[in-house]
Amino acid sequence: MSATQSKPISIRSITKTYQTQSGEPVEALKPTALEIGAGEFVVVVGPSGCGKSTLLNMLAGFGEPSSGEARVSDVRITGPDIDRGMVFQSYALFPWRDVIGNVEFGLEQKGIPKRGRREIALKYLHMVGLQDFANKEVDELSGGMKQRVAIARAFATEPSIIFMDEPFGALDALTRRFLQRELLHIWQEHKKTIVFVTHSVPEAIYLGDRIVVMTARPGRIKTIINVDLPHPRDATSDTFRDIERAIYAQLDAELAKSFALEGREIAVAAAD
Amino acid sequence: MSSLLKTLSRVVPLLVAIAVIVIVWQLIVVIFKPHPSLLPSVVLPAQEFWHLLASGELLDHTSVSLARVFSAWLLAGSIAIPLGLAMGWSRRFENIVDPFVELFRPISPLAWIPLAILWFGIGETGKVFVVFVATFFPTLISTVAGVKRIDPVLIHAGQVLGCTSDAMLLRKVVFPAALPAIVVGLRISFGTGWAAIIAAELVAARSGLGYLIANGMEILRADKVVVGMAMIGILGVCFDAFFRFLSRRFAWGTT
Repeated sequence: MSATQSKPISIRSITKTYQTQSGEPVEALKPTALEIGAGEFVVVVGPSGCGKSTLLNMLAGFGEPSSGEARVSDVRITGPDIDRGMVFQSYALFPWRDVIGNVEFGLEQKGIPKRGRREIALKYLHMVGLQDFANKEVDELSGGMKQRVAIARAFATEPSIIFMDEPFGALDALTRRFLQRELLHIWQEHKKTIVFVTHSVPEAIYLGDRIVVMTARPGRIKTIINVDLPHPRDATSDTFRDIERAIYAQLDAELAKSFALEGREIAVAAAD
Repeated sequence: MSSLLKTLSRVVPLLVAIAVIVIVWQLIVVIFKPHPSLLPSVVLPAQEFWHLLASGELLDHTSVSLARVFSAWLLAGSIAIPLGLAMGWSRRFENIVDPFVELFRPISPLAWIPLAILWFGIGETGKVFVVFVATFFPTLISTVAGVKRIDPVLIHAGQVLGCTSDAMLLRKVVFPAALPAIVVGLRISFGTGWAAIIAAELVAARSGLGYLIANGMEILRADKVVVGMAMIGILGVCFDAFFRFLSRRFAWGTT
């Protein structure tokens, strides 16, 4: 496998404020700063609506920060780029293309000639164990297989960074476990920088070098936890459990806050 | 085998309907005995059908009508599809163009026939113009709706996979994603165009199925009128079936 350079990300106190339809500003992300090393696997966890997807979307270049900036190898992120891949929770495969056609999509954009494209696409389908499904239609695949195609598609263009937005969130527990292991193998082999968003705490500990715990809305970084356990990590070990307990303790406080907030909103709405 | 059964299950009800129509028609003729120039017995149009078919007249009229519809339909599609893609893609562009669409759309294409005759006479251009109006809007509306229904996550996927310009995104993601809706629009507009060409030919033409019908009326030959109507119906059913078949091939993202 050709070794493309993975790159570091520098997030410099970025914020995001949305405008609701009635014109009210909603603060989705409070000033957030984070340095992510080249080849590092960072997992972001937090309650729903904590701005973790907002953060990821800005890093992917889908929305400008309201203030601050994020840089990749000291180049400011201003829009989407083929050097920063993404895996989406809903797979986002192109249904008008077959499996290999999906993996080839980014290679076409890179201007790789037809024969080379096929070869590379097959190599990456092989990586996720789907080489025999190259000519299947996307609709014929199960959810887990679709996500494996999406992972192959994201890695095939050899980006230096890959963002993953709750990629296993829609899958059953066993498929999820299997894909987590597969992703770790791929990451260890390719050493891309990965930023992975989830709300599964065990998943975060199983995968991440570092775990970024976010606060309830408006989101900001509450704490960062280093996971120094060697791979593959045993989810039943004491250290794993200790880390899990620590993160849940942090999250429970945030969940309580966000439920209280929601309750207040419902009460206000009812009073109106 | 199952596809044969499926075809049969579609064709048989159609044949039954035709049989019922013929029986009811013949009963009316037997009971009320209308003058043959108003409602002939089933036999007369059937004879006239074979007569017109054998002489080649029926095929001539049919192909003339079809050629008019096809050329106008293709012309309308080649403008409406790119315009619809742009309108669905850019809110600002849609805001500019949509008022024009909203003003013209409620005007029946048939209301354009008098102007078409004034402007273009009774030649081909006027017919093509009327069918163009009839096919343009269904295609446009369907295309715009198709683009707006695209899951934004597909657009994002296209962007991170290297479609950095709007032109590239439109070609590689937006157009294929909207294609099922576009095909539906083309199917519907072929139907409206087929209806419009008959009307245009009824009013002013020297050929075409509409002319065949209008001429039959003028010379008090209801059998000729019925032959023309039957041909319109048969072709309408055939083309609709063909486009349904096509739209199943382009049905991604609709399940």
